[in-house]
Amino acid sequence: MEGMIQDPSQQQQAQQKNQVVAGAERLNQAVQQQLNLESLKTRAISLFKAISRILEDFDAYSRTNTTPKWLDILGQYSMVNLELFNIVDEIKKVSKAFVVHPKNVNAENASILPVMLSSKLLPEMETEDNLKREQLLQGMQNLPIPSQIEKLKTRIDMIGAACESAEKVLADTRKAYCFGSRQGPAILPTLDKGQAAKIQEQENLLRAAVNFGEGLHLPADQRQITPSLPLHLADIMPAADGVHSFSDPSGMYMKNTPLTSSNIGSQGSLVQLHGQMQFSQPLAHQQYQGRQLPPGHVQHGIGQSQLNQGNQLGRHLSQFSSPANSALYNAAQGTPSTQMIPNMSATMPSQSLLPRMQFGLPGGNPQRSHASQILTDQMFNMGSGPGGMMPMQPQQQQQQQQHGSQGAFSNMPTAQNLQSNMVALQNNPQSHPNFAQQRQQGQQ
Amino acid sequence: MECVVQGIIETQYVEALEILLQGLCGVHRQRLGVHEICLKSGPNLGFVASEVRLLCDIEQAEPTWTVKHVGGAMRGAGAEQISVLVRSMVESKASKNVLRLFYALGYKLDYELLRVGFTFHFHRGAPITVTVSSVNKMLKLHATDEAVPVTPGIQLVEVTAPATSENYNEVVAAVSSFCEYLAPLLHLSKPGASTGVVPTAAAAAASLMSDGGGTTL
Repeated sequence: MEGMIQDPSQQQQAQQKNQVVAGAERLNQAVQQQLNLESLKTRAISLFKAISRILEDFDAYSRTNTTPKWLDILGQYSMVNLELFNIVDEIKKVSKAFVVHPKNVNAENASILPVMLSSKLLPEMETEDNLKREQLLQGMQNLPIPSQIEKLKTRIDMIGAACESAEKVLADTRKAYCFGSRQGPAILPTLDKGQAAKIQEQENLLRAAVNFGEGLHLPADQRQITPSLPLHLADIMPAADGVHSFSDPSGMYMKNTPLTSSNIGSQGSLVQLHGQMQFSQPLAHQQYQGRQLPPGHVQHGIGQSQLNQGNQLGRHLSQFSSPANSALYNAAQGTPSTQMIPNMSATMPSQSLLPRMQFGLPGGNPQRSHASQILTDQMFNMGSGPGGMMPMQPQQQQQQQQHGSQGAFSNMPTAQNLQSNMVALQNNPQSHPNFAQQRQQGQQ
Repeated sequence: MECVVQGIIETQYVEALEILLQGLCGVHRQRLGVHEICLKSGPNLGFVASEVRLLCDIEQAEPTWTVKHVGGAMRGAGAEQISVLVRSMVESKASKNVLRLFYALGYKLDYELLRVGFTFHFHRGAPITVTVSSVNKMLKLHATDEAVPVTPGIQLVEVTAPATSENYNEVVAAVSSFCEYLAPLLHLSKPGASTGVVPTAAAAAASLMSDGGGTTL
């Protein structure tokens, strides 16, 4: 464009030169600098080839009915797109210098050629142009032309400035959030090392606490139930009741707290147990697991407060007052064994939750009638846990008493309150080997 | 069975995470207040101690109890490769007497904690639950009103989904793909592994919290 207007003399000379040279047409040098037409032609041809290759690929996909790899196709498309954009951009710079016209005039383009070649705007474009010009010069048309020009210039400058600041904000935002760059952020925002270490420490604390409860275990002195329980616990945990175990819900089940007599053997507690089937800790001692309970009375568990005292309790059942004992015993005597069994099954906890509870239901077949064997059953019970199932046979009461007095355990109480059929337990760890020995003896 | 991943997020970004989750899940959050009591069986119940968790939802007007047993995680080369922990889990609703029952059975209190936060339940390939909560400990037994956070500046994010032995692969895929969406704010991993915080959390949180206006950086 500039080449044409600014150097008319040069152009004429060049044209003359061109006309001298046979047939070859040269573009003006300036135009050539702005747009290398030859290279543009090559690029356009390569672009055309790329597009046709992609179209062929698509054709192949459709024929073979395979799924195309969309990532590749998108990549190719973006390349083609970019190339086209660049070409169009370059041409736009000098488009006014060129006129595009078809090589041959034939039936196809004969009608449209005049329109293509004319420099006048199409009618609708012309009206649009006029409309826009009116909008632009609204209010300025009465002013002299130079001032109109001035005003337009300032307007353009203002718009330009606004655009620039918007661009700047966009660029800054992009950098901060690392948008727009395919490789991702070049420099990741890093945490301060000290801060990262602190956070790591906190994280370990938190994860350990949630998954394993580390750091959450209360020391023994904090484990007393507060008189003011939260609402959801208040009605289910009677805090002041001495009978129930959770007046001291100790976590350390290996703790050796001495048996507090206040917890045991209050007559009221025993009476409470009366008529109820209360399974205290089920027996899971390995030696016990294979055995069946002989039919008989299932003794009531000893007061629950004893349950949590660990394995080192001495059960001094002589503390149970005799009237209560005899009442229990009579009740036990009175009901036939078969009646006790359905109760048992009803109150057994669901197997799914506690698979380790292995109660052999008495099948009604006493596998042992020998008194000593019955006593050894008792010994099993005593050996493995406080309370639990105390199989008794009422018929062999006398014998058991005698056996009881023999003292399967070396530290059985001498007080012969065994008419209650509750045999004293003393679960010292040392007694376990004794226990084994005794059992063998008993079976012999 | 269930698929579980856990992550941490700084407390200052929890609001942004909530906004992100709301957008991703399409449901509103539900408040979470759970008193979790972990019980351990005594030695008379067997050589191997078993653990049982009792969860009391104290957010409801009427506290509801759930008993939960978490089993061992899936092991093996396949399990190593997936980024989600798959473990056996049995859960059931229970009455309020469940605590008494377990004490009667011989279980003892091991530890307890209080989770306070919010949770989202939604379906995206599998029914997924996302919980964002502050884990609090009680200095006195059962004193939930006086609970203090274990880590004040950091909250726990947990994504769980129930699974069966037949479909756990799909559930794992669903959970993993969901976790990718949370990547700008936090990383999630198996409960044993630690993740740290992500460096883009601040920027992501700022953009989530902004109202779209031109804020200078």
